[in-house]
Amino acid sequence: MKTIDIDHININDRRFCISYPMYDSTLLSSINKIGIIQPVILLNTMPYVVITGFKRTLTAIQAGFTKIPSVIVDVSEKDALLYAIHDNIKRGLNIVEKGHCIERMLHMGFSLTEIHETMILLSLDPHEKIVERLTAVADMEDTFKAFITTKGIAMKQVEMLMYFSSEERSEIIDILTSIHTTESFIREILELLNLVKIKKGGIDFDSLKNVPDAQELKKILKKLVNPILVSLEEELKRIKLLCALSPDIDIKVDPFFEKGYIDMLIRAKTEDKAKDAIEKLRNILNKGYIRSILELTRG
Amino acid sequence: MNLQEVRVEEAKGNIVRDCPGTRYHICCGYKTIDLIEGCIMSCSYCILKAYINNPCIKINKDIPYIISQVEHMIDAETNHTLRFGTGELSDSLALDRKLGLNRPLIEFFGEKKRALLELKSKWAYITHLAPYLNPYTVISFSVAPQNIISKEEKRTSPLYKRLLAARKAQELGCFVGLHFDPVIIYEGFEKDYEYLIDDIGRILDLKKVIWVSMGLLRFPPRLLDRFIEEGRKNLLYGEFVRGEDGKYRYIKQERIKVYRMLHDLLKAREENLFIYLCMEREDIWQKVTGLTVEDNKTLIGFFDKRIENLFGGNI
Repeated sequence: MKTIDIDHININDRRFCISYPMYDSTLLSSINKIGIIQPVILLNTMPYVVITGFKRTLTAIQAGFTKIPSVIVDVSEKDALLYAIHDNIKRGLNIVEKGHCIERMLHMGFSLTEIHETMILLSLDPHEKIVERLTAVADMEDTFKAFITTKGIAMKQVEMLMYFSSEERSEIIDILTSIHTTESFIREILELLNLVKIKKGGIDFDSLKNVPDAQELKKILKKLVNPILVSLEEELKRIKLLCALSPDIDIKVDPFFEKGYIDMLIRAKTEDKAKDAIEKLRNILNKGYIRSILELTRG
Repeated sequence: MNLQEVRVEEAKGNIVRDCPGTRYHICCGYKTIDLIEGCIMSCSYCILKAYINNPCIKINKDIPYIISQVEHMIDAETNHTLRFGTGELSDSLALDRKLGLNRPLIEFFGEKKRALLELKSKWAYITHLAPYLNPYTVISFSVAPQNIISKEEKRTSPLYKRLLAARKAQELGCFVGLHFDPVIIYEGFEKDYEYLIDDIGRILDLKKVIWVSMGLLRFPPRLLDRFIEEGRKNLLYGEFVRGEDGKYRYIKQERIKVYRMLHDLLKAREENLFIYLCMEREDIWQKVTGLTVEDNKTLIGFFDKRIENLFGGNI
């Protein structure tokens, strides 16, 4: 192990760098407190090129260090990349980092079989389509990469976001960053946005800006994709309000109005309570509300 | 047709079986013969893409074994006229000129005279079968407006060729089946379907059309992802909901409207046309046809009656 002047390292040469994001506040605090414990591995060229420890090197520079503990190795470019990948595998890579691995391997001329072997180590299906998608992720704009890693969204949703143009992606990321979201919500929203784009030929982003919360965003999009369903839901809500159902009675309708029947539920602890509920239901029936609800299920 | 990409494998197992149908929907009791699994047509909406996770086409060439299975089923059935088809997991005609799998089946059904074989296709070539065709083979074509064929069924025969092949089958003494399946709701689809039915009425003898099926586009969730990825505007134009069987279907209100439109257009051309709905609910049947079809058995009864009307005592 040697201590090397950071000036002797070409930090712009990132051919072995797979980490994303590059800056890590926890690492900065740690380095500030106790310095760099684990040496970086450098390729024996002049200037040196970082094989593993890119984040540590950049954080050291950020912390004002001028020297860094290093191990200098003489290996081929391909072996150096494999060092970098294997050094990081144990910590679990995010999608962008996996994309970087595959993209770098392709760039350095690894065979498809070698790439597939690495993909298995990265818990990826060794398919050509996945290779294509991950390299596309590696080539994406930084806002996209930052969004998918910050939100930790799954590959399926990443793909759905990639169907949009870079301008559309930027708008979508702005909207989804401005409200509280969960992964399942992001999935739903991306599916709805894709459907709006395909059905309507484009998305009116102005109408989606400044939505107060996730539910409102979903409501607007759902109305565009499922106008009939939304109108049926609204009508059901209106009739149920007229019914003024007490908490011990419920009328359940298929969420997609497919089933040609409804379920009526009564919860009663005593015979008298059951009688009361039945009487309330009879009243609702006599007023024609049940008929109106059934009509909604009949198309 | 270019067959270079077709890989042939021997398939084994249960080749003749009941059509799987779908939960909570009415099924016609069809029997399927899986001569071929997989299809070279590559229609954009094809559910085989979701169900068959294998790029190669499997072919079962053990025809005597298949015929013995079919015969066993026919002999065991005393109440109904069985209908068999080879178009469930593939196209019945697309590879037949090369493989010649249908001929022995056609001959078997012609000699047996107890059940019907349906060859369901989008590939309009039956010339090689002409010498062997008999009334116990139904030649069926899936029909759609040419607009849809051009965009979503790119490797299939154009509509006019399908209809001409169907007419040829009628001239050769066969009954013909028509399958409006999948019916697709897209911008301006109403007019296109009207023209399609006009073409059918002009080219075919509707009295020799044994059955017409109607099924609106439906697909498993996996295909929705594919349609989105491919930006399939035609396929995603309508309003979809998840059915009780988990598949996406057009919302009920739309299904009823479209079925009624097609039903009325067809009936206006031939009142006695036998029209059935593929994988639909009882209430849709009622609204579209006015018929009460409570279960699969009722629908199978309708088929028996239709076949009896057309074949009399000859089946």
